[in-house]
Amino acid sequence: MAMAHCYTCSISSNFFSNPKFHSNNSPPFPKLFTLSAIRLPQFRSNSLAVDSTTSYPLEKDDKKLLLQVNDLTAVIAESQQTILNGVNLTVYEGEVHAIMGKNGSGKSTLSKVLVGHPDYEVTGGTMTFKGQNLLEMDPEERSLSGIFMSFQSPVAIPGVSNADFLNMAYNARQRKLGLPELGPIEFFSHVYSKLDLVNMKMDFLNRNVNEGFSGGERKRNEILQLAVLGADLAILDEIDSGLDIDALQDVAKAVNGLLTSNNSVLMITHYQRLLEYIKPAYIHIMRYTTLSFEVP
Amino acid sequence: MSASTLTPILLQSISTQLHSLSSPLFHFPTSRFSFNRKLKHPISSKPASILTPHAALSDPFVLQIAETFEDSLSSSTTPSPLQKLRDSSSESLLSLSWPTRKDEPFRFTDTSFIKSSEIQPITNPPQDSDFSGISLDTQLPYLTIIDGYIADSLSGLSGLPDGVFVGSLSKLPSDGMVKRVAEFVSNFEGDLFWSLNGVGAPDMVVVYVPEGCRVDTHLHLRYCSMKGSDFGSNKLPVSNPRVLVLVEKGGEVGIVEEFVGEDGNKCYWTNSVTEFIIGEGASVNHSYIQTQSLGAANIKWTSVRQDSGSTYKLVEFSSGGKLSRHNLHVQQVGPDTVTELSTLHLSINDQTQDLHSSLVLDHPRGYTNQLHKCIVAHPHGQAVFDGNVKVNRCAQQTDAGQLTRSLLLVPQATVNVKPNLQIIADDVKCSHGAAISDLELDQLFYFQARGIDQVTARKALVFSFGAEVIERIPVASLREKAKSHISELLDPTIENSIT
Ligand SMILES: Nc1ncnc2c1ncn2[C@@H]1O[C@H](COP(=O)(O)OP(=O)(O)O)[C@@H](O)[C@H]1O
Ligand SMILES: [Mg+2]
Repeated sequence: MAMAHCYTCSISSNFFSNPKFHSNNSPPFPKLFTLSAIRLPQFRSNSLAVDSTTSYPLEKDDKKLLLQVNDLTAVIAESQQTILNGVNLTVYEGEVHAIMGKNGSGKSTLSKVLVGHPDYEVTGGTMTFKGQNLLEMDPEERSLSGIFMSFQSPVAIPGVSNADFLNMAYNARQRKLGLPELGPIEFFSHVYSKLDLVNMKMDFLNRNVNEGFSGGERKRNEILQLAVLGADLAILDEIDSGLDIDALQDVAKAVNGLLTSNNSVLMITHYQRLLEYIKPAYIHIMRYTTLSFEVP
Repeated sequence: MSASTLTPILLQSISTQLHSLSSPLFHFPTSRFSFNRKLKHPISSKPASILTPHAALSDPFVLQIAETFEDSLSSSTTPSPLQKLRDSSSESLLSLSWPTRKDEPFRFTDTSFIKSSEIQPITNPPQDSDFSGISLDTQLPYLTIIDGYIADSLSGLSGLPDGVFVGSLSKLPSDGMVKRVAEFVSNFEGDLFWSLNGVGAPDMVVVYVPEGCRVDTHLHLRYCSMKGSDFGSNKLPVSNPRVLVLVEKGGEVGIVEEFVGEDGNKCYWTNSVTEFIIGEGASVNHSYIQTQSLGAANIKWTSVRQDSGSTYKLVEFSSGGKLSRHNLHVQQVGPDTVTELSTLHLSINDQTQDLHSSLVLDHPRGYTNQLHKCIVAHPHGQAVFDGNVKVNRCAQQTDAGQLTRSLLLVPQATVNVKPNLQIIADDVKCSHGAAISDLELDQLFYFQARGIDQVTARKALVFSFGAEVIERIPVASLREKAKSHISELLDPTIENSIT
């Protein structure tokens, strides 16, 4: 289970190269985030000021507030075991954030809770995205409102081709935006132009979703989906794991290529390696401990 | 030497009844008559009591059906192979009784609605003027069989190579062919329904592919049922189509058997038998598509005899009928055979879809692969699968695989599956498995996480489950037809199950 940990954003020197960070020399609010499972009384006073919703304005340097998570608690639906206990996270548009932490600390759980995975039940706290209450939205509504989560281990879907799957997702988005849907042939040419981004061949589209894909191919496929569907907030769960250096550079290039001043990225990783390619302004630590409480 | 029976672990999903068939294999009765009967109506003309000791085994109900069948046949001269079939079938019937749920092969398949109906053999060949309602949408050479009778005016056989014969046994062009056909008639004993067909078949359709002849198109056999009674009338018109496909050494052919009914819930019983004799190195691609009326009983036998080096591939798609039972028997008579069986059964209504298959390997180096899939989406819907693969002592180096997967979309939907590999040879490679599930939640979530709503996602997943079999249908137009048929059947069901 994830464990209380309060981490001031003491970004090590190599992270300061992010221009956004420099342009923002004295942020008006402390970059202090708690991604914790068990809240400690001694941190309360410290955290409270930070957690308070009112302490975050809806805009920061003309940037809109995108995601706000306050005091989020969640349990595993089946066993009712607590798995997130008081997570706080605020992301403005145009920001790159990273969540780090050991295996099993609850990083993937947090990202799945954000997109509404049925394995988990939220028991307390709030999550808002662009001012909308995520807790009241189905997973597909969350996706359509602009959150994209790239899965740590995307499932295979035998019998459904990558092209058809992407076409369905694309059309769902078009419907939501009131734009015309694309038939299979038009869509094929639309998506074809995106293949270069992830350095994939045409046959990638004809294969069944993730079926028989290598680890690297699955990750590239997630990024291809992101490229085709677009997102205001991309949560990339371990997008770097299992990739060799070339593939990692491909993926990082694709992600950087998709970044604009309006959209944000939340990267989850336990390697620093990725942070050298996609540079975050904020780093949060998900700390796993069962017995002792640590103060950084 | 080791003998082993593998029974897989079946995954049971919540609120799903699952019965594993556990009793020993049913053995078909093999008793035969020792006297030669030449009478036109042997059963009716002799009081049953004279037929001791067999009389004790006779089922009066079965004898009564056999009698009405015999009465219904025209008295014009019958070609000798057909007469031979009728005689041997009559004999078999004397020792067969109507199956009950106590008989292992019918433990989960209730045939009582046939028994409780007034069974009416269809006596008259259909008239051309009746054909207005029958649509012809095939690009393949085709032969239409209506209620068991060939409809020449609804058949178009151009495009077949010289030497290939498709038509009535009575029209076989040479005595040599008649003799050849006679060699294979009644070489196999099925069950009661097999024998009833043998007694009641008004004709025998023969498909003959001569040695070395490769038919590069599929032959479309369209079985239509025109005489149906209204639901609730308790009348059950019955037809007994009979087909023999004989492919000589090195020959190749594709056969599509499509069973269609009239629209609606008409009640009738199609009791068909198709036999495949596949010569050395010959190859048959068989597609069986069944979309009968939901009031119909569709009982089908397929018997296959595979000589050395031959190939038999079957793709089956069955969604119609109140009761649909396919009995499939494949007998290997030489080494190095290839056998691939793929089945998709859909029980979207209050109906039973049943496949009982048996594959017997008696020679070395056979390759067999069976995939059975079923989707049950009705609380009273049922799928039954009993698949036996027997790798006998001499069948060394056999490579046998068997897999069955069931998808239950509503609570109380029932599936009874018994995949069964019996291995007596010791040098064989075998794999098999069975799984029963609802849709994978992780897969559903993956769609939703990409903005795709649940209904669309479920449709895509259910569809893809069936697509694995449908993609194997070798004729593109039939593949597309099956796909749209599946969408039509499943879309409303899935929409209702969500809302
Ligand atoms: N659905 C679940 N059922 C049971 N345990 C779970 C489930 N999801 C996560 N866990 C457990 O919660 C802990 C955190 O998992 P996870 O979020 O995957 O960690 P991380 O992504 O940081 O490696 C792990 O111990 C994991 O086994
Ligand atoms: Mg993880």
